[in-house]
Amino acid sequence: MNDLWGPLWLSLRIATVATIVAGLVAIPMAMLMSRRRFIGKSLIECILVVPMVLPPTVIGYLIILWLGARGLIGHWLYERFEYSIVFRFEGAALAAAIVALPMFYLPAKAGFASVARELEENARLLGANRWQVFWQVTLPLARRGLNSGLVLAFARALGEFGATMMVFGWTPSRLTLPISVYADYESGDLSHAAWAVGAMLILSFALIAAHNRSASSTQD
Amino acid sequence: MRTVISLYIILAFFQLLVTPVKANAQTINISAAISLKDALGELAKTYESRTGVHIELTLGASGHLADQILQGAPADLFISADEKHVKDLTEAHVVKAGTTRIIAHNRLVLIVPADAASPPSGFAQLADASVKRIAIGEPKSVPAGEYAIQVLTALKLQDAVASRLVYGSNVRQVLTYVEAGEVSAGIVYSTDALEAGAKVKIVATADESTHSPIAYYAAPLINSKQRDAAEKFLDYLLGTEGQAALHSHGFQPAETPATAPAAAPAKGTP
Repeated sequence: MNDLWGPLWLSLRIATVATIVAGLVAIPMAMLMSRRRFIGKSLIECILVVPMVLPPTVIGYLIILWLGARGLIGHWLYERFEYSIVFRFEGAALAAAIVALPMFYLPAKAGFASVARELEENARLLGANRWQVFWQVTLPLARRGLNSGLVLAFARALGEFGATMMVFGWTPSRLTLPISVYADYESGDLSHAAWAVGAMLILSFALIAAHNRSASSTQD
Repeated sequence: MRTVISLYIILAFFQLLVTPVKANAQTINISAAISLKDALGELAKTYESRTGVHIELTLGASGHLADQILQGAPADLFISADEKHVKDLTEAHVVKAGTTRIIAHNRLVLIVPADAASPPSGFAQLADASVKRIAIGEPKSVPAGEYAIQVLTALKLQDAVASRLVYGSNVRQVLTYVEAGEVSAGIVYSTDALEAGAKVKIVATADESTHSPIAYYAAPLINSKQRDAAEKFLDYLLGTEGQAALHSHGFQPAETPATAPAAAPAKGTP
């Protein structure tokens, strides 16, 4: 039981940061993709959604390939600042953010697509500037999709294991909830994992239930 | 009629999916400690070309392999990097007591990335804050990790390094972490460091009084259907040729205890 709080707290922190990062990419991109047409649009769409089907190990591999101490960008960071994202909180958050990105992007895009353009145009005609239109018309109307993306991305980030295991590694003094389950399994101590398994089940069920409820209640 | 035919085709296709590729030659399954990867791989190839007996190697941490065997994984021979996991199998009556044989010995070394600017010069320096992360095998299932903990405990370093330890799920993963420069130091077998070549540097060899002897225990499994073939391969490992190949990969002979002449491959890495 005592071994539950550390991993739980770490997982919640990683998932929170990852969700914010995913949202900062997903929301503007969703807005852009639902409104504009431009060259290379389908490629960008692919990049945003592909983490959903890629094995997390591939995502982990690519992060290490780019940002590891010997990575394409990473070696520069390492030589200059002796910094490597591997085994760090930022690495875990990045891995979780990439995996969570499509979960945020897809519902957000659907949300923006559902906003009737006439309402935005009316607001403009009534004298609102672009920011006012965005904050007071578009965003509230796309709320359902954004809420949905937020919850799903958080849930996915919380449960991230594969890429995190590769990038964050297995540091016994710092385990995430999913990694603690794996660690117990690897060290032949399955019963020890019960609390973490229970916590993940409860959290995941609660998040999905909350998601489903908000999705159905706003459906008029 | 057409439904019947298409159903038949679907079934035939499904049959194709579930049927494993049949091995045409006699095959023995060996679950072996991953530190033996290169040596056993070479020996298996030689043995196969000579006798026609195919050797299927499953490599991993000895503890994981023992767990897999306990759960019914098909294996004819188990080679562990420590005595503990063979004992577990003997207690579970999967291995017959008294049939286990030692095939080689090894040493434990402290390695650093070859290009590290100011690497620790020995085990004692692991206590310094400049050593940011230290990789070892996960001690419960990775023998190299257990030996590493023994050394750290004997040198009274365990508390000083505890928060900086990173676990590898087998000893070769520890090696990978050091090769990739993601950790400041790692504890592996001298043979692993040898396989890594110029990418890592050995800075110290653990004193053998600080850990239990590192011996590889080979155990034929009671439920094996290839018992004789497995025993024959084991004889081959213990014969002149098998021992020579193990020696060329840095392992120390099965016969002598791991002390006296053994230090040579551990220290002399370019």
